[in-house]
Amino acid sequence: MPSVDALPHPFTFDPAETALLVIDMQRDFLLPGGFGESLGNDVSQLSRTIEPLSALLAAWRSYGLPVIHTREGHLPDLSDCPPAKLRKGGIGEQGAFGRILVRGEYGHDIVDELAPLEDEVVIDKPGKGAFYATELSEVIEKLGAKKLVVTGVTTEVCVHTTVREANDRGFDCLVLSDCVGSYFPEFQRVGLEMIAAQGAIFGWVADSPTLIAALQEQK
Amino acid sequence: MTARIGPVKANPYLWPYDGSVPVANTALICVDWQTDFCGKGGYVDSMGYDIELTRAGLPATARLLDHVRGLGMLVIHTREGHDPDLSDLPPNKRWRSAQIGAEIGSDGPCGRILIKGEPGWEIVPEVAPVAGEVIVDKPGKGAFYATNLDLVLRTHGITHLILTGITTDVCVHTTMREANDRGYECLILSDCTGATDPSNHTAALHMVTMQGGVFGCVATSDDVIAATEV
Repeated sequence: MPSVDALPHPFTFDPAETALLVIDMQRDFLLPGGFGESLGNDVSQLSRTIEPLSALLAAWRSYGLPVIHTREGHLPDLSDCPPAKLRKGGIGEQGAFGRILVRGEYGHDIVDELAPLEDEVVIDKPGKGAFYATELSEVIEKLGAKKLVVTGVTTEVCVHTTVREANDRGFDCLVLSDCVGSYFPEFQRVGLEMIAAQGAIFGWVADSPTLIAALQEQK
Repeated sequence: MTARIGPVKANPYLWPYDGSVPVANTALICVDWQTDFCGKGGYVDSMGYDIELTRAGLPATARLLDHVRGLGMLVIHTREGHDPDLSDLPPNKRWRSAQIGAEIGSDGPCGRILIKGEPGWEIVPEVAPVAGEVIVDKPGKGAFYATNLDLVLRTHGITHLILTGITTDVCVHTTMREANDRGYECLILSDCTGATDPSNHTAALHMVTMQGGVFGCVATSDDVIAATEV
């Protein structure tokens, strides 16, 4: 079984029982001119993940392993957007790439470089966590996955919330430091530290070249 | 006249977003104030962490409990723990706790670690539940997963949550994130929480306030008490 050199200790996994989760790599969060940038954020902190994530996706797909993508967004009538969230502004308004974080809009979809393949699952989620009010648990169960490799944005918000949900459900999570991104370097650092703290309280942390090397060794 | 809470002087906005909220629609959530997390000989103590850090929020929480009990606010206590036969303990959680030298289910100075019914699993006396308060037992870090918390809150007509407890970055944060996704308007209290690592306490509170309050707001217990209108 491949073993990845990770924090706080090696992460061993059976590829047949591991799924790759790609969280919210959406144009609204990543593209210059989009919603994320309009809030004053430096999107380059997120877009630096696209290149390593593309390489990882290529490697992962070459072994025929499952990939699950998620997108945060709401129905066009915003009936699934809690009032407190709506009040903070942005969502449903007209942005550079269509209505912000609304399903079906250009900005809501995943960036071209990481576009899902036809047979890959895309989970649409109304919140930060990918398990709440979605079919993710059922999808993972159907795939027979017991462990998750977690990538995407942003580290301390949607990645963290999803990893916490997965951890409570008994899934081991390996978070890839170069394939997750935060608008805030300080939260990138502390977000990763919190995951591996107290003996992997939420999961493990490594980088994608280490994971790819472990997969290749296995072959 | 029904008592209301708000607007509370909070960060990053005056909480709640809708100005103020009747006490009847607000709950105080006390997360995992258990001996295992803040008592001598408990789980956190056994792992070698300084329990003074996780005990730091006890006096302020006890004072706030007095205040909200006087208002008739719903108080909900949570406890992390597992069945004695460990049937609800994920194997990876057990393995990791063993790696760090405090295996869940093994014998410690306060009984079997994180096992329901053991002395270490009980809530510490300073903030112990009183008759009529709800107790939610949870197998994970989040208080919503595999529990009846959401049902209890909706049944009571609760829309707004005030969070205290330990630890800030682990169980309180996970619960706040779950609550936020479910549409509850949340307020976490900096002086009624605590972490095994003070920098994680600070960072976790800071994370809440970013992007216009991505998970809600941060305030102190004094801010809440000052914003109560009877």
